[in-house]
Amino acid sequence: MASRGVTYRTEVWSDWCPGCGDFGIVAAMTKAFQELGLDPANTVVVSGIGCSSKTPHFINMNGVHTIHGRGIAFATGIKLANPRLTVIVNGGDGDMLGIGVAHFVALGRRNIDMTVIIHDNQVYGLTKGQASPTLRRGEKTKSLPAPNIQDAVNPIALAIASGYTFVARGYSLWVDHLKELIKQAIQHKGAAVIDVLQPCVTYNDIYTAEFYKGRLYKLEDDPNWDPVVRDPSEEDEKIARALEKSKEWGNRIPVGVFYVNPLKDTYEDRIAQRNPYYNREAPPAFEEIAGEDGKPIIGPDEFKRLFAGYIVKAKRS
Amino acid sequence: MALSDLNFLVGGAQGSGLETTAQVLAPAFASRGYGVLANREYFSNIVGRHSYIHVRVSSSGEPKGLTYPVQLVGAMDAETIFTHWDDIAPGGYLVYDLGASRTRLIQIASMEPDLKKRLQEEFSKLGIQPTVEGVVKYLEEERKVKLVGLSFTAIFNALVQKYGVTRAQAQRFRSSILIGAITGLTGLDEEAVAFGLERRFAARKRVLEINKELVAAIAEEVRQEYGEPLKLEPSRGGPEEYVIATGNDVVAMAKIVGGIRYQAYYPITPASDESVFIEANESLNVDGKNLGNIVVLQTEDEISAISSVIGAALTGARSSTATSGPGFSLMVEALGWAGKNDVPIVITYYQRGGPSTGLPTRGSQSDLLFSLFASHGEFPRIILSSGDHLEAFYDAIEAYNLAERFQMPVIHLLDKFLANMIASMPMPDLEGVKIERGKTLFKAPRGPWKRFPRDEPLAERPVLGSGAWTWYTGDENDEWGHIDEDPVNRLIMYERRWKKMEIADREIPEDFRAHYYGPKDADFLLVGWGSVKIPALDALKELEGEGLKGAYLHVRMLSPLPKRMLQSILSTFDPDRVIVVEHNYIGQLAKLITMETGFMFKKFILKWTGRPIYVHELVEGVKEALSGRDKVVLSYGK
Ligand SMILES: Cc1ncc(C[n+]2csc(CCOP(=O)(O)OP(=O)(O)O)c2C)c(N)n1
Ligand SMILES: [Mg+2]
Repeated sequence: MASRGVTYRTEVWSDWCPGCGDFGIVAAMTKAFQELGLDPANTVVVSGIGCSSKTPHFINMNGVHTIHGRGIAFATGIKLANPRLTVIVNGGDGDMLGIGVAHFVALGRRNIDMTVIIHDNQVYGLTKGQASPTLRRGEKTKSLPAPNIQDAVNPIALAIASGYTFVARGYSLWVDHLKELIKQAIQHKGAAVIDVLQPCVTYNDIYTAEFYKGRLYKLEDDPNWDPVVRDPSEEDEKIARALEKSKEWGNRIPVGVFYVNPLKDTYEDRIAQRNPYYNREAPPAFEEIAGEDGKPIIGPDEFKRLFAGYIVKAKRS
Repeated sequence: MALSDLNFLVGGAQGSGLETTAQVLAPAFASRGYGVLANREYFSNIVGRHSYIHVRVSSSGEPKGLTYPVQLVGAMDAETIFTHWDDIAPGGYLVYDLGASRTRLIQIASMEPDLKKRLQEEFSKLGIQPTVEGVVKYLEEERKVKLVGLSFTAIFNALVQKYGVTRAQAQRFRSSILIGAITGLTGLDEEAVAFGLERRFAARKRVLEINKELVAAIAEEVRQEYGEPLKLEPSRGGPEEYVIATGNDVVAMAKIVGGIRYQAYYPITPASDESVFIEANESLNVDGKNLGNIVVLQTEDEISAISSVIGAALTGARSSTATSGPGFSLMVEALGWAGKNDVPIVITYYQRGGPSTGLPTRGSQSDLLFSLFASHGEFPRIILSSGDHLEAFYDAIEAYNLAERFQMPVIHLLDKFLANMIASMPMPDLEGVKIERGKTLFKAPRGPWKRFPRDEPLAERPVLGSGAWTWYTGDENDEWGHIDEDPVNRLIMYERRWKKMEIADREIPEDFRAHYYGPKDADFLLVGWGSVKIPALDALKELEGEGLKGAYLHVRMLSPLPKRMLQSILSTFDPDRVIVVEHNYIGQLAKLITMETGFMFKKFILKWTGRPIYVHELVEGVKEALSGRDKVVLSYGK
């Protein structure tokens, strides 16, 4: 159901620092939702914990603000129990790639049809600026007492290696560009992730808007860049190219779509292949489990049929 | 004289067919109207360690508490004889492999050094040669145990010749040798055994045939020589139909009846069999008609399991997970989120021996207080614990009802004993089962929805996808589910959550939450929870036979605790005549009852070896406690 006339912002005041990159991400999200005509009743914005994870409160749709790192895990249950819902997960780089990285990887393996938006500011914003998993070795952002001695994880490469079938990078200040990426990610069938570079104006004095200016370039500006797998035989080569591209950082930083594979079955498809009764139109969550009288659908007869192998008649002489 | 009860034990190396023995004999005896309870003890090991099944068959038609000594030990290997020689009743039977006669105790590499050392000391004290021959000779001479020696090698050779199977394949019929001998000695009829074998091997016709013939031949051979000395009297009663299943299976069946639509789990003993059972039934089809579909997800860890269960519950699906201690330890943060957000989830918690990995394949009741207090902050939760298979069945369904009616997490506390024990459970009364979904809304007016109205602790709960849209957060929230740290709001919301507990305490009948078994004028009282109920009720019967009139107070709901009822019962007893019985060290139920009622327990019977409480040791323990001992520690069982 398309939704006209919906205001996609709530009246909740965003308590992010003035100039925070998260504002751009919410702006891009709401614009994308508007253009896609997403129905707030059938869309769920899920998040973990962090500055970025406050996002659901600012969006006028179902919002589930969970615990640190577990947004994807909550979203997994939401989506599988009701595959009719459109599910979008927001979280910080610490949330998704630190404490929640097991779920991040698992979502790729499953290719569940949902969208993940990483607010990548290289720091733990809400806890006052410690290093996040995307801060590089040797870098010392404002709150660090000494330069970081842990290596950074590469979100794009990790997503591809995990099995995500739509992998992109955006920039929070390029709202229209990001909006397009979000639209594509939502429309993509399968696990989609957008790593959004997002200046933290308070704690990150390295990756500032100033830093990104002039370094960022769009992948799609290269007419030869084609990230889409159109035939299974292309998969290895497209993955190799995307991985290669994902290493580029420094003077030139690519944003845009790195990799898309629309050919892989989603997890919902895989369940349906095993159990054809599982489908979007009749989600398990909405099935009747009892009659009007409250009696379970599995009554005495059904019980005996389903579990015949466990039932023994007692013959007494 | 025919027996009213038969106790036997079959032991062997893990992986050598013990499970088969139980899966064949339990339905076989049940098909003749006998009550059956079969426990399996095993190490955290796949192949090679000593494992055994311990079975009680009762002509009462009811599954009765396990006890020692046993009238029959069936030994698949030498280790079983060394381990269980002392479990055999004087005049009982030992079925064993003559080929193992020469085996010496020191040769048993798989035996734990502790046990080996204890046995060496005991054997030398009693003058027993530390060999199978020596032990067997002692049993025969000093305990009048009848020896049923069979040459397993000769039997395997005959199978190779007769059926053209390989030697390795022939070895796999080891369990049927024991089944045959037990059949012969107990006079179980051929049809009943065939029924048991068919259950187990239905899909493999040839294996089934060989097994049937082998069992019949061994039974006949044993019967010829020994008669039917362990013949049971005909069943004296019981239901017309049994469900023969483990606790894991029973809970899975109940969840399916209860309308489960989502289960997530991470593999762990002794919980995962439940989830595997549900997954095998993910599509509920009867006569080609689809009645429902269940998503079962094996997650990357227990944090994911419970988190996704909460997500699914928000969509209206009846959702649960099954785990044991280590897994629950990982779930506690998310549990708090569900508690804070009025989310109906069910956690089926099979306790095993802790702390840490502890005794991963053994039972305990040491997580009562943990489950009650797990997660930071304060929030209401319901905790149910079942005393036997049938209770576990009803409680697994009721757990969903309570979760949805009172909009809070429900922990269904079980233990490894119930999880793995096969019981002949009477067919549950499904006509009496009701599904109650509280204020769950699957259709709601379009628009933003005030999910947490201040004046309504149990508010309507439109699910995700119902038309309305809702917000949830782990932060303290306002009526809309948005973050709110205002102190006045905090006062109200905090209290709002706890009001649900008051309502639950008011609405859930106390006589469901606890049950008093026994005469009004009992002169002592046992107090327990969970599977302690099984040996406790049987111990009371035995004690009554000795002139001791006791009662058992079974606590089925630990939160909210039925404190008025407990108080009124406990106050009628002299505290010296009240004995709490638990599978833990610190007396967790006692502490909880004291905390809630002020009643001070003075007498404890405790067991924490990970093995079940056996009727015989409980009977002795009660007598000791009544004659002055304050703390009796039980430890029987290998
Ligand atoms: C289990 C747990 N550990 C630690 C915290 C404290 N904590 C709150 S937010 C946060 C990090 C947030 O960083 P990130 O995910 O990158 O989000 P950002 O604030 O940068 O948007 C941490 C560690 C927590 N809430 N829960
Ligand atoms: Mg961050």
